[in-house]
Amino acid sequence: MGDSTGDTGSSMHGVSTDKTGKYDLPVDLEDRATVFKLFSFAKPHMRTFHLSWISFSTCFVSTFAAAPLVPIIRENLNLTKQDVGNAGVASVSGSIFSRLVMGAVCDLLGPRYGCAFLVMLSAPTVFSMSCVSGAAGFITVRFMIGFCLATFVSCQYWMSTMFTSKIIGLVNGTAAGWGNMGGGITQLLMPVVYEIIRRCGATAFTAWRIAFFVPGWLHIIMGILVLTLGQDLPGGNRKAVEKKGKVVQDKLGKIMWCAVSNYRTWIFVLLYGYSMGVELSTDNVIAEYFFDRFHLKLHTAGIIAASFGMANFFARPAGGYASDIAAKYFGMRGRLWALWIIQTAGGLFCVWLGLANTLVTAIVAMILFSLGAQAACGATFAIVPFVSRRSLGIISGLTGAGGNFGSGLTQLIFFSTSQFTTEQGLTWMGVMIVACTLPVMLIHFPQWGSMFRPPSTDPVKGTAEYYYVSEWNEEEKQKNMHQGSVAFAINAKSEDGRNAPSTITV
Amino acid sequence: MAIHKSLFASLLICLLFQISHGATKERLFSDLEKGALEVTAKPSREGVLDAGIDKLSITWKLSSTATKEAEFTTIKVKLCYAPVSQVDRPWRKTENELFKDKSCPHKIITRAYDKSPQSFEYTLERDIPTGTYFVRAYAVDAKDHEVAFGQSTNEAKSTNLFSVQAISGRHKSLDIASVCFSVFSVLALLVFFVNEKRKAKIEQSK
Repeated sequence: MGDSTGDTGSSMHGVSTDKTGKYDLPVDLEDRATVFKLFSFAKPHMRTFHLSWISFSTCFVSTFAAAPLVPIIRENLNLTKQDVGNAGVASVSGSIFSRLVMGAVCDLLGPRYGCAFLVMLSAPTVFSMSCVSGAAGFITVRFMIGFCLATFVSCQYWMSTMFTSKIIGLVNGTAAGWGNMGGGITQLLMPVVYEIIRRCGATAFTAWRIAFFVPGWLHIIMGILVLTLGQDLPGGNRKAVEKKGKVVQDKLGKIMWCAVSNYRTWIFVLLYGYSMGVELSTDNVIAEYFFDRFHLKLHTAGIIAASFGMANFFARPAGGYASDIAAKYFGMRGRLWALWIIQTAGGLFCVWLGLANTLVTAIVAMILFSLGAQAACGATFAIVPFVSRRSLGIISGLTGAGGNFGSGLTQLIFFSTSQFTTEQGLTWMGVMIVACTLPVMLIHFPQWGSMFRPPSTDPVKGTAEYYYVSEWNEEEKQKNMHQGSVAFAINAKSEDGRNAPSTITV
Repeated sequence: MAIHKSLFASLLICLLFQISHGATKERLFSDLEKGALEVTAKPSREGVLDAGIDKLSITWKLSSTATKEAEFTTIKVKLCYAPVSQVDRPWRKTENELFKDKSCPHKIITRAYDKSPQSFEYTLERDIPTGTYFVRAYAVDAKDHEVAFGQSTNEAKSTNLFSVQAISGRHKSLDIASVCFSVFSVLALLVFFVNEKRKAKIEQSK
């Protein structure tokens, strides 16, 4: 299975930058691809990409599968507005915890096992939706299904081990964006499946239950594919490579401390709560909103709601790409500005969405809002891989968890009570987005600067190498545990902006 | 740029549609003649009725106080939510504008208007949700506009209400299928995992 035998790249060990021959794509010092070939399925880089985003997308499909069917489910289970809102909060809350755990799992066991285990163990939760009979059951099952959104972390982690930092914005943005598309696909898929089952003779209250088998089967299929076709690292699976001495086993406590003590981690947790978080909240409320407010049919509301999630197809990669372009000219400072501009614009369009009184203006505002929020997600994960090399998994996990926390909080405040109508909730959510994006101005990298401050001129502390190697103490440096960070720092010179060397030689 | 221009043009056309559509005066419930029809709805048995099984005996006839009788062409009989079933459920809200009103979503029967008293034996549909209901009959004119109505309860919607219990929608076969697929998923994972560990051990011992 995978590359557990034979070639693990030990012949590449640090000496030359010969980029061809062994892999289908050119690679850097850590065997990560430097080029992104979208329509290839070549082992290991592009195959990983496709396995990763499709399994993540499947989890989005099942987590938000209930949303477009709520108009039917709420009648079957006799739900109140609070029940529907609470179920929405529950659907994004489970993964706050599971994303944190997944970060640690990826750091310690590898993304392939993490992804496959999660996808296959959450299939029973999807199937159990067909057995619920009241509000409590509905909320509980949506909570349990939501755990599988942790595949986001394995997806991003997997991409960061397979693709080099210069293109990581585009790659992470595309993988996550196409994964998030699942939230849009499900708004189309579930009403159609429901309709087909109804036409085959089932009553409404049985048809929606049968419809949930479809996402359940998708989980099983994707889990099997990841196990049979996937591999952890370009050089093979984690256990095999560890034995050959290239990857060093790190300690959980140290990784956690490294992540938690870096203030940038927490700013990104907040920021992501108001880009991804609002995207998740909107996935949960938008179909019902269009159905109720503009008196549309279920599948019409589904189509409109789907276009919100489907915009991810290009919006999130575009955000990552915009970040990469900004970095090319302005380095990391460009990335930070790009993020602030895009996310704030999304917030303003959200305010407009809540204020829109006609169907057409609502649709236009929604689409612009989706572009802003989703591109901001892409731009966020174009920066996150640079916050830390040692704790990449945990920081990705924490940021991802922040997304879900922001979503749960927003749904709780604005969409679960009778105090706000849904349109008022949307407007206030937009205001909150603008406010919570301001902290990006506080993010400062000594080697690259921040939005308003230039980089440090200190010859030692102002280097990328110092920043990444300082995550290790002397004892660990003695054991050469920091070599990966050194290589990473060299590759990260691309974030210097126009001063970056165009080729990397050793 | 051509794409931008055509998108903008279609947007403009849609906006114009919206504006023109919104210009007609909305028909209001408060404009309808109250109590023009005398409607009764008698459940087939006492207690909470079961959807899909129990019946309602519905009758309607022209009331002596009706004035707009000449306009009646069709009678639309509907099942409506009582106020207690509308609490915390804004998708069932009563609105004065007729096209916005969502309190009577379930159609019972539509019949051409007849001067003589009418009756209908209605079996509660299997997609009726759990709740408390009454019956309302709208008298509709030739232009398909409501002109009058009558209902089986009083104006405050507090008398002669009946409760319905919905079907659960669950089936034993669904439950069994659900369990089977769940077990398969977990087993498949374990089999792969154990198999791979075994292969790695064999590799190591080589």
